[in-house]
Amino acid sequence: MKNKRKLKKELIQRMGRRNFLVAGGQTLLGVLLAGRLYQLQIAQNEGWTRLSDSNQFNVRSVTPARGRIFDEKNRLLAGNTETYSLSITPLQAGNLKRSLYQLSQLVDLKEKDIKDIIEQASRQPRFMAVTVKDELTQRDLSRLAIRSPLMNGVSFSKRYRRIYPQAHLTGHITGYVSPVTPRELDEDPRWGRLPNIRTGKVGIEQALEHNLRGAPGLDRIEINARGKAVRIINDKSPVQGNDARLTLNMEVQAYAYNRLRAGNSEIVTNTADIQRALQSNEELRSHFAAGDNLVLRDANDRFVPGESGSAIVMDIRNGNVISMVSAPSYDPNQFSERLLTRDWKRLSNHPRTPLLNRAISGLYAPGSTFKMVVAAAALEAGVITESTRYKCEGNMEFGDRKFHCWFDDGHQSLNVKQALERSCDIYFYEIALKTGINRIHDMAKRLGLGAPSGLNLPFEKLGIMPNRDWKMENRGTVWTPGETIVAGIGQGFVLTTPMQLAVMTARLADGKKAVTPRLFADDDSPVDFAPLNISQSVLKVVKKGMEQVLNGPLGTARRYDLDEVGLAGKTGTVQVKRITKEQREAGIIDNIDRPWKERDHALFVAYAPRKNPRYAAVVVVEHGGSGSSMAAPIARDILAQTIKIKGV
Amino acid sequence: MRFFMTRLLQLPWLTIGCVLLLSLIGALALYSASQGSWSPWAERHIVRAAAGVVMMIMILVIPIRYIYQSSYLIFVGALIILLALQAIGFGQGATRWIAIGPLNFQPSEPAKLAVVLALARYFSARTPEQMNSFWTYIPAFVMVALPFSLVLVQPDLGTSLMIMMGGLIVIFSAGIPFRYIALVTMAALASMPLLWANLYDYQKQRILTFFNPEDDLLGAGFQITQSKIALGSGGIFGKGFLMGSQSQLNYLPEKQTDFVFTMIGEEFGLIGNLVILTIYFLIFYSILRLSWRIQHRFGRLVCAGVSGMLFLYVFVNVAMVTGLVPVVGVPLPLISYGGTAMLTVFIALGLVNAMALNSDLEDEDLRLSIRR
Repeated sequence: MKNKRKLKKELIQRMGRRNFLVAGGQTLLGVLLAGRLYQLQIAQNEGWTRLSDSNQFNVRSVTPARGRIFDEKNRLLAGNTETYSLSITPLQAGNLKRSLYQLSQLVDLKEKDIKDIIEQASRQPRFMAVTVKDELTQRDLSRLAIRSPLMNGVSFSKRYRRIYPQAHLTGHITGYVSPVTPRELDEDPRWGRLPNIRTGKVGIEQALEHNLRGAPGLDRIEINARGKAVRIINDKSPVQGNDARLTLNMEVQAYAYNRLRAGNSEIVTNTADIQRALQSNEELRSHFAAGDNLVLRDANDRFVPGESGSAIVMDIRNGNVISMVSAPSYDPNQFSERLLTRDWKRLSNHPRTPLLNRAISGLYAPGSTFKMVVAAAALEAGVITESTRYKCEGNMEFGDRKFHCWFDDGHQSLNVKQALERSCDIYFYEIALKTGINRIHDMAKRLGLGAPSGLNLPFEKLGIMPNRDWKMENRGTVWTPGETIVAGIGQGFVLTTPMQLAVMTARLADGKKAVTPRLFADDDSPVDFAPLNISQSVLKVVKKGMEQVLNGPLGTARRYDLDEVGLAGKTGTVQVKRITKEQREAGIIDNIDRPWKERDHALFVAYAPRKNPRYAAVVVVEHGGSGSSMAAPIARDILAQTIKIKGV
Repeated sequence: MRFFMTRLLQLPWLTIGCVLLLSLIGALALYSASQGSWSPWAERHIVRAAAGVVMMIMILVIPIRYIYQSSYLIFVGALIILLALQAIGFGQGATRWIAIGPLNFQPSEPAKLAVVLALARYFSARTPEQMNSFWTYIPAFVMVALPFSLVLVQPDLGTSLMIMMGGLIVIFSAGIPFRYIALVTMAALASMPLLWANLYDYQKQRILTFFNPEDDLLGAGFQITQSKIALGSGGIFGKGFLMGSQSQLNYLPEKQTDFVFTMIGEEFGLIGNLVILTIYFLIFYSILRLSWRIQHRFGRLVCAGVSGMLFLYVFVNVAMVTGLVPVVGVPLPLISYGGTAMLTVFIALGLVNAMALNSDLEDEDLRLSIRR
């Protein structure tokens, strides 16, 4: 018992000693902390203070220069230019107001600017700099360079500004950059530390954002007690983003843009005429307000704005997009800095939506350009052969409805090639009915309609390529034969983008591979397209029909062939407003006499040369009238220019 | 009434005063951290401190036998909650939190106290002979290892290490013979590579960054470098309340939680930092001194554990922000913003007070049945 007590007492004593040891250990470690604090806060104080000061005033992340964008011949589409801004730090400046008045003798500063700057400075700590003037001119710079070293707290900063030298011509392709949005900041808050960072919002700028962006650097400017820079330490250099080279040919692009906009009208250059036109024409005025100064004189001698629509040229061998025009366009330079409300209003109120990239996001019924799909589907299904004939009497009764051919008198008896040549609607009503929508849908998909083009640009539209299931899912009703008839001439539910039509044309012309478009030339991946899986005998007939459109005796575009190499193609005239029975009986009004919005869309798809095709082209002129008289000559001229510039 | 007054005088008023003072300093620091505003942190900090005082008083009312006899129950309960956390917890990249009504609660904080209580009860029931046997320590190590690994997988390296070190301090204070300490140390060193292999990438990154902070100036190294700049530029007297440019310009990250000591250092200098450290050490010493008065080993070990835990937090936090150890996410008790951690400190203080009020009991008294 006594032993036990003794043991217990010993244990308690041991625990007491352990307490002492713990307390001793804590004290030692406490002294270590105090020593470390002494080291940081007293021994090294000066060094850390300098770093803190340069943090306060001049440690900054350096925004990298964005990668540039070039065309195939290395012509600049998007680049960077340096710009300087002037700022002042109230704490170092001492008397802020006096300093600002001194500065106003050197750079253009109004009384109101000075008031705003002082106001802004009062809302933040005195050690934070305020921007005095952005985008200094060369003259400002040289004056400031001499005088400002005598002034305390004044500093310059350099930054990059994004420029698009081709402006409107490539606006939709490059897209634009603009300041970081709150959502982007949520995704990666580190970009918030970068001054003046811009991110791509649309087009190539967005599609290649991660390539173009580069990596930020870090700069430290050591300053002395008077706030003067002593030296700049570059902790980490910014890494410029990767350049991107596109397949685009700027010469073809510029030509195509201007050719499309001019349409078949005369360009008005006489200033007096333009002044007069502006006074009476509201539509023209809205175009002018949006920076669009093209004025045309149409066939009826009226002053009208430039045409709108899309024009695409593609290299069939490798899918390279040589030109991709969407008109009207916009100037992406407007977006790189703060977009003025005025400019934004003008762009968003513009009657012809310049911000819409019609080439990939504009949806149009393909009209008669869809007839190749129907013909190929019918031939493949064995519904018709090369020599199957139908008779066109100008219209056709089906159920209780009457379907009309565009040619009232009727084409009489013709085979599939002649039907393509002369674009007979009745023939395609007949074979569409016999082929059925599902087989037409299947052929259209293989030719690239109703599917993503593969360009991987933001905001691309898919269009609509209907079949029975689609109707049930989206409209909740069964497909009717009447809808097949309308689809047979590319109207009704069918909607495509110009880019999809270009893909279709390229695939028909090539005949063997599922040609897919691309915009990046840097992408050296070997061009290896999937097989098209359409029989050559089918394609031979369809292509022959497309050739006859230009060289047949009654071809709808026979006047617009390219003599040296020869074209093959197909016209399309797309009704945008239904013609009522009464209107038909009263006689259909000519396109040119209707209001612009009610005129037909003009389409033309083509490839050249006729033998060994190299280029595929699509022209869509919104409310342009007829595919043959409006779109065909534009497509021919653009292809001729392409061949002149790039050869065959 | 006189009885009540004498009991009141037995309370460790120095400790209580220091704790309240630190909470107040914390509120002022948080006021500065939000650029001179009571919201969002400072006002809630004060409310939590008030809630903490209430908790502390509530624990004083509970008879000490209840605490003693439910120690294992509390420990098992904590383990179950930690285990359940894997299923019902949430958090950014780690499951550290559970929601109870509108309140979010971090179970790993009270788990530390549960470990201390369980170990204290375990050792207080061992005879002096048993205390010299190696086998006595195996269950004790298991009691530390279980919560350690459950918190480690959350993953929360900082807190799990705190639990382990705190537990080891209790085992050490219980009087483990030195020969076993040597043995355990060797075993621990041998298992280091295994632990490293099981760390998450970001945890490894933090440790690697510690050795070379300049490698990653915009990432993890940014924190350490900016913290040193802030502390170092504070000098002897600091830049003044609300005048710390590093803190106010947001160069300093997490200034309301892990880096609050840095912010105080920038604004109040070496003097401010040393005052705070001194208050902390007053708390550690006074709790240890208190434990010598206590007759039962249970109370002594609870005091040793609480004091040890608090010390570890303060030491690791300050060492972390001064760049002596890697950034592992350990807050500064009572000053950093964080509800569960703060309430845990007050509960711990309540336990210490409860021990102080019952200092004349023997271990055997604690084991008596509650229903007499």
